[in-house]
Amino acid sequence: MNDSYSVKVGDDFDFTLSKDTISSLDLITTGDGAYHLLKDGTSYHVKILDSHFNKGTYTISINGSEYETAIQTPLDELIKKMGFAVNAGKNIDSISAPMPGLILDILVEEGQEVNEEDQLLILEAMKMENIITSPRQGVIKSVSVSKGDAVEKKQLLIEFE
Amino acid sequence: MKKILIANRGEIAVRVMKTVKKMGIKTVAVYSEVDRNAPHVLFADEAVCIGEAPSNKSYLKGDKIIEVAKKLQVDGIHPGYGFLSENADFAEAVENSGITFIGPKSKAIRIMGSKLAAKEAVKAYDIPMVPGIDEAISDVAKAHEIANEVGYPVLIKASAGGGGKGMRIVEKEEDLESGMKRAISEATSAFGDGSVFVEKYVTSPRHIEVQVMADTHGNVLHFFERECSVQRRHQKVVEEAPSAILTPESRKEMGEAACKVAKSCDYIGAGTVEFLMDADHNFYFLEMNTRLQVEHPVTELITGVDLVELQIKVARGEELPMKQEDLTINGHAVELRVYAEDPLNDFLPSVGNLETYQLPVGEGIRVDNGFREGMDIPIYYDPMLSKLIAYGKTREEAIELMLDAIQNYKVKGVQTTLPFGSFVFAHEAFRSGNFDTHFVKNYYAPEMIKEQTSNEAEIAAMIALYQFLEDKKIVRLPSN
Amino acid sequence: MDHKIKELQDRIAQAHLGGGEKRIEKQHQKKKLTARERVLYFLDEGSFEEMGILVTHRTTDFGMDKEMYYGDGVVTGYGTVNGRLVYVYAQDFTVFGGALSETHAEKICKVMDLAMKVGAPVIGLNDSGGARIQEGVRSLGGYADIFYRNVQASGVIPQISAIMGPCAGGAVYSPAMTDFIIMVEETSYMFVTGPNVVKTVTNETVTSEELGGASTHAVKSGVAHRTSANDATCLDDIRKLLDYLPQNNKETTPLLPYELGDETREELSDIVPDNPNKPYDMHDVINGIIDGDSFYEIHKDYAENIITGFARLGGRSIGIIANQPMFLAGVLGVKSSRKAARFTRFCDSFNIPLLVLVDVPGFLPGTDQEWNGIIVHGAKLLYALSEATVPRVTVITRKAYGGAYDVMNSKHIGADFNYAWPSAEIAVMGAKGASEIIFRREIAAADDPEAKLKEKEAEYANKFANPYRAAKRGFIDEVILPKDTRSKLLKTFAMLEKKEVQTPWKKHGNIPL
Repeated sequence: MNDSYSVKVGDDFDFTLSKDTISSLDLITTGDGAYHLLKDGTSYHVKILDSHFNKGTYTISINGSEYETAIQTPLDELIKKMGFAVNAGKNIDSISAPMPGLILDILVEEGQEVNEEDQLLILEAMKMENIITSPRQGVIKSVSVSKGDAVEKKQLLIEFE
Repeated sequence: MKKILIANRGEIAVRVMKTVKKMGIKTVAVYSEVDRNAPHVLFADEAVCIGEAPSNKSYLKGDKIIEVAKKLQVDGIHPGYGFLSENADFAEAVENSGITFIGPKSKAIRIMGSKLAAKEAVKAYDIPMVPGIDEAISDVAKAHEIANEVGYPVLIKASAGGGGKGMRIVEKEEDLESGMKRAISEATSAFGDGSVFVEKYVTSPRHIEVQVMADTHGNVLHFFERECSVQRRHQKVVEEAPSAILTPESRKEMGEAACKVAKSCDYIGAGTVEFLMDADHNFYFLEMNTRLQVEHPVTELITGVDLVELQIKVARGEELPMKQEDLTINGHAVELRVYAEDPLNDFLPSVGNLETYQLPVGEGIRVDNGFREGMDIPIYYDPMLSKLIAYGKTREEAIELMLDAIQNYKVKGVQTTLPFGSFVFAHEAFRSGNFDTHFVKNYYAPEMIKEQTSNEAEIAAMIALYQFLEDKKIVRLPSN
Repeated sequence: MDHKIKELQDRIAQAHLGGGEKRIEKQHQKKKLTARERVLYFLDEGSFEEMGILVTHRTTDFGMDKEMYYGDGVVTGYGTVNGRLVYVYAQDFTVFGGALSETHAEKICKVMDLAMKVGAPVIGLNDSGGARIQEGVRSLGGYADIFYRNVQASGVIPQISAIMGPCAGGAVYSPAMTDFIIMVEETSYMFVTGPNVVKTVTNETVTSEELGGASTHAVKSGVAHRTSANDATCLDDIRKLLDYLPQNNKETTPLLPYELGDETREELSDIVPDNPNKPYDMHDVINGIIDGDSFYEIHKDYAENIITGFARLGGRSIGIIANQPMFLAGVLGVKSSRKAARFTRFCDSFNIPLLVLVDVPGFLPGTDQEWNGIIVHGAKLLYALSEATVPRVTVITRKAYGGAYDVMNSKHIGADFNYAWPSAEIAVMGAKGASEIIFRREIAAADDPEAKLKEKEAEYANKFANPYRAAKRGFIDEVILPKDTRSKLLKTFAMLEKKEVQTPWKKHGNIPL
């Protein structure tokens, strides 16, 4: 693993720093969580206002102005590079009957655009009316059943574009 | 006067109430449904809800306010600034109901409320005005005539207008016709009145205004000037007193001119006469604001007076307790209007909650504040949070105090004009006094503020990483 | 000393390379992290202490002595998750394809032994091609050593398995005996016999993914309790799960700081529809009761007619079992009974109190169910709940009919507190069915049998389809308003915190398996 870390500051800034840059900082400790930094001759009074080591987040005050920082370790970088989206959702193309039953009512038609949670059809099973809702936003490509049909479990009901 | 109702909200309501209380008079606040937990409601002795959040359903309902005042047996109504303060009908209605309006007579408000009437009134007093016609026109040929007389560039200004609407600068003769047409159509749609003035456009103008105060015994005093040239979209952001460039002679001249303007409309109470000053130190009368102004604190600090106190005394019929010779300038004061606006996003209002809101304190620091930590910024009103004022023995000292105070003003949850303030007060042009109303246009770009923070952000990143690497070395025991 | 230190550092550096840069690259290309990367990501920053990094195998057969790797294909050790001690082993696919050898198994057994001595959870990150064939029976022995320890540890310390690559043949039995299995989608699979052998023996053509991929096991077989989109989310998920569990069976569940205020939940009043044939989502009831956003569902896509999962109530973790009216009307069947029974026994092993939400019209009818032993499997849930000595609280939201009423944590099988909503219907069966039987003669004799049935149905519903007969007898301790459910449960579980029950001595019961 290399020694460079990427640090995010607020929403606008992203810096890549190496361990060497840090070890060459002219820093003295002036108190608990307080430091004095001399950089290119300019003096900075620094205070660590809040720190979460495990998350790698620190709130730092530089001469009175506050900055929220977040540190990405080389491992974090690798994971980001591998494209592991944290909330990867699957794109559902079709809806099948979750259980055998009777199609009581169909509430959409081919070509219709639907949003997540919109009601698609009513399946009666076990004497209960189950409302099948859309798992995603999309356009109905085809409706494979009609009102009054009896369906098996897993039978294809609706397809999305 | 035993009880005064303040027909306003926010910082000005609190500021006025402070003086009213100081004078041993009871205070009454009015508030809209969304302002129940606002500081001015908490500060007053009595408070009454007068309507729903939108201003036209609450703070602008003159009749409701008067009704409340009558019910609570209020002796005087202070209108603050904005809202109904320059509404002549309201002033008249208040007087007619037997309550004292703490301000000028409705007649004066009416005269100075119309640019035409104002110019008419001061004509007799030989006040210098911007060269141009002193009557409103809508004829392009006439416009050409005037323009040629006064010389280009000219400014076309809506007679009924304000706030930068219906204003157009015309640099050369070829553009005059189209400029006229557009200004007239803008004015018609914005104010219902398409008549415009054509006058000389003052280049590198400075906006300098004079504070005046008149009593019912014929005394009219001026309390020196204020420089308000740092503006954004014709709205003042930074003001100071005295101006950095006025000579004692100009000061005396402008002061006397301002008093004459006040006399021209039989003015009573506090008012401000606005002038435009060009590069050669010629000044021209712009208009008179017949109320207490936002930036009055800087005047109070250099003269050592409480203007609201004087307003109330005058309203009570007392004679002003000082003479013009008694007034001197002591020290220098600067003010920054702290708006909940995002200077990095074209100063658009920044809505949200004041998660952190801590005011700077110290010698020479005054904050006229209208909010508390934890409050939401209501979207119905002007987004001004407070006025930050710094007072020092010299202009330099005041500026340094201001920069320090800005750093110590902690606001989290909304964007503010504080970083913009840092930019202005650190800027060479401002510090040297060498600026005019084009300051913002010439020198400011959002990148300037970003640059300022970019350097510090990098340092924050380095410190964060340093701390992280240090924390890594600390042994952490597993707990079971 | 310097060159000795350098020698150590060199060896360690080599160990870190596992099977070499090229194989690491290949692993990354397949969208998989290496074993060490997984462990470091999983544990708290800087907390990992590796054990046995320099272990190598001892085999000489088949020229194996020419190829040795430090660590022998598995990274083992301990660290912390949110400050709490855990033991980890992660198989390294870059070394012999993660194949298990005698020494590889020894390393895993070592951490399991330590975990047992100390009383802390073990998390296994599986990514292995199976037994190292060159080792022969020594490798099989290695597996068995692990299996034996899985069983010794079962019910003593939480054991969690992540399947992050292949896991086939005998290897699957270790995860199978652990408490929870989380599979990574698309890059992992589990089966006893692979597609190739399946093809030759049964002539079925099937891919690894179809046969034993993450969604197959999450939906069809119920082998996997949860699935994750990738390595990182899988490890995040395990961290989240650990937050609900105690370190071992002697400890109480962790308590997060929580400030109570007005705990009325108005939204609970609107969930149960007036029409008894209209379903509702029991998740809404769960979310209305527990601390915000704290529901961690187990077996979400398997046997969806019952819901199992962990949650927090006032900061303390609890286990929830709830019928889901939206699926098969919430009936109990073979799969749902087994799912809930195992979950119950896990909670009971680890002192996790149980909340049971009931809306069950009975058991699923059909030859499929009967010939698959619904009798025996339904009994599993009844047994598990009856046996559990952790605090058990029930809330009946709507239906509780017949035997299912008894099974779903009724007072009679030892529940500590039983609540019912005013919409509860506690009866032997639904009004229609009951009326058809009881008033058979009256209905047959009537001029309009259908109208008579409806009349009798209404009469029956009025008399029996409510919680009051049960309340009269004390089978229901209190009939409560839905919006008060959370406040009541907070107090109930706090009251039951120090519950202790003596059970008659036995080696272990004989739950119908």
